[in-house]
Amino acid sequence: MRSDTTGFWTPVALSADIPSRTVIPAHVSAGTIALWRSQAGQIAASADRCPHRGMSLSHGFVRGEALSCIYHGWSYGMSGHCVRIPAHPGLTPPETIRVATHAVRDAGGVVWVAEGTPASDPPSLDGLTPLRSLTIEADRAAIEAAAGVPANADGLIEITRDGEDLCLLLSGSQQSQTGVRTVVHVLVATGSHAPQRIAASRNVERLRRMAETASANGNVQ
Amino acid sequence: MTGSDPAPYRQAMLDEWYPVGLVSQLDRAGRHTALMGEPIVVAGDADGRPIVTGGNGRILPVKVRYGHVWSSVGAPTKDIFPIPEADQPGRRFVDVGVVRVRCSPLRAVENFLDIAHFPFVHTDVLGAEPHTEVLNYTAEIRPDVDEVWATQVKFYQPQASKSASGGITTEYMYRVPAPTCSVLYKTCPPRPSEWDVITLFVQPLAEDRCDVWPWMALFDDETSMTDLIHFQQMIFLQDRSILENQIPRLLPLDPGMEIPTRADLTSIAYRRWLKRHNFTYGAQLVAR
Ligand code: FES
Ligand SMILES: [Fe+2]
Repeated sequence: MRSDTTGFWTPVALSADIPSRTVIPAHVSAGTIALWRSQAGQIAASADRCPHRGMSLSHGFVRGEALSCIYHGWSYGMSGHCVRIPAHPGLTPPETIRVATHAVRDAGGVVWVAEGTPASDPPSLDGLTPLRSLTIEADRAAIEAAAGVPANADGLIEITRDGEDLCLLLSGSQQSQTGVRTVVHVLVATGSHAPQRIAASRNVERLRRMAETASANGNVQ
Repeated sequence: MTGSDPAPYRQAMLDEWYPVGLVSQLDRAGRHTALMGEPIVVAGDADGRPIVTGGNGRILPVKVRYGHVWSSVGAPTKDIFPIPEADQPGRRFVDVGVVRVRCSPLRAVENFLDIAHFPFVHTDVLGAEPHTEVLNYTAEIRPDVDEVWATQVKFYQPQASKSASGGITTEYMYRVPAPTCSVLYKTCPPRPSEWDVITLFVQPLAEDRCDVWPWMALFDDETSMTDLIHFQQMIFLQDRSILENQIPRLLPLDPGMEIPTRADLTSIAYRRWLKRHNFTYGAQLVAR
């Protein structure tokens, strides 16, 4: 996670995990956001609270190019403006009704959400292809300790030891009800075949157990 | 809350009556539950009379009404609100049971007063797109009875009740006679001159947790009791999926935190009435 003075990009999900016309909750340091992809394939991110009666928007649904709240169906466009209030079909919603939005990029198979106003583009992941995401019940420090190497400025950890080949992209850590958790994306070299992908999956499970055990035992700062 | 004085603004709601169990389920062992943060036990004595015991063993006030046992952690000065239809011959009374919801008791009532969610939350049962319009209706705080009333509420429903076959435009009236209770009067298909009565009695367990006890007084001789209960439970489980995901969990009473429209007149009147009476247990007063 490269952090400059104005902001940074958080890798919240893999592009493949948000198909068109879906919405999912995603986590940034400010809390949960609603991440969605329109019918045309455009990705967008908004605050997770509908301004009408507070319903979580990540429980909503996507129709066309708008995200709709599941409670009363108020719909919000990419820019966050309310475009439809079903209880009043004839009404054009006033400009003032809107949800806060975040800048999002869909690059290298990863969806990045801006925290603050990053001065540059998200880091490039040349030569790497995302495999899967997982949530580890531990903070970044515990994951770095289990990996034996710190993440670089982009949040990337590359492990090459004992025939282990593993590349991890770390998201920010969040407080959860059970403790701290971190979303981690597993990447493999582009063009990897099944055996390497299976090995990467197995290796990350081992790393997950190490980090979670250490974290549960309070071994990490 | 035992052992310390509750914040003064909560006093107003402490002296109200709340449902704490079904009369039909009273037993010697008792139901271990809570009322406004205080652990209570709702039991029946040898003669089946209800006894409600508070956290430190103190005996709490108790009443039996509308199929439920009612109690209070304070000292109620008024009787439980009247529902005249409860004494009307020919009605069937349905104890729906309990639904536990992780939300403010006030949010649970407000959701009950809302019709605009029918097409989205109770899809193809109480509402269906494209019939989403909420026509103008009237909502007011009636000064003579000091209750919130909404009248001339109309909504298109694919299957308004267990006894309805096919879509109809249903007419409703809503009433809020107590901070966590609401009474709904609804078009009664078998008897056009009468209203079916569906109530929502909410037991505030804590500010952000409640047990919802729906109860009905219907003109319906055909539907089996099991079907009536299942129908209402299905509806309330759908509501729960909303109520447990609203942010914040407490009901915001400050204007500015949430944006109502004309369709929310009942909710607006309810919030105003709560504020007027300092009924703020389960409310959020300052936008955070
Ligand atoms: S709370 Fe989202 S539309 Fe009503
Ligand atoms: Fe509902």
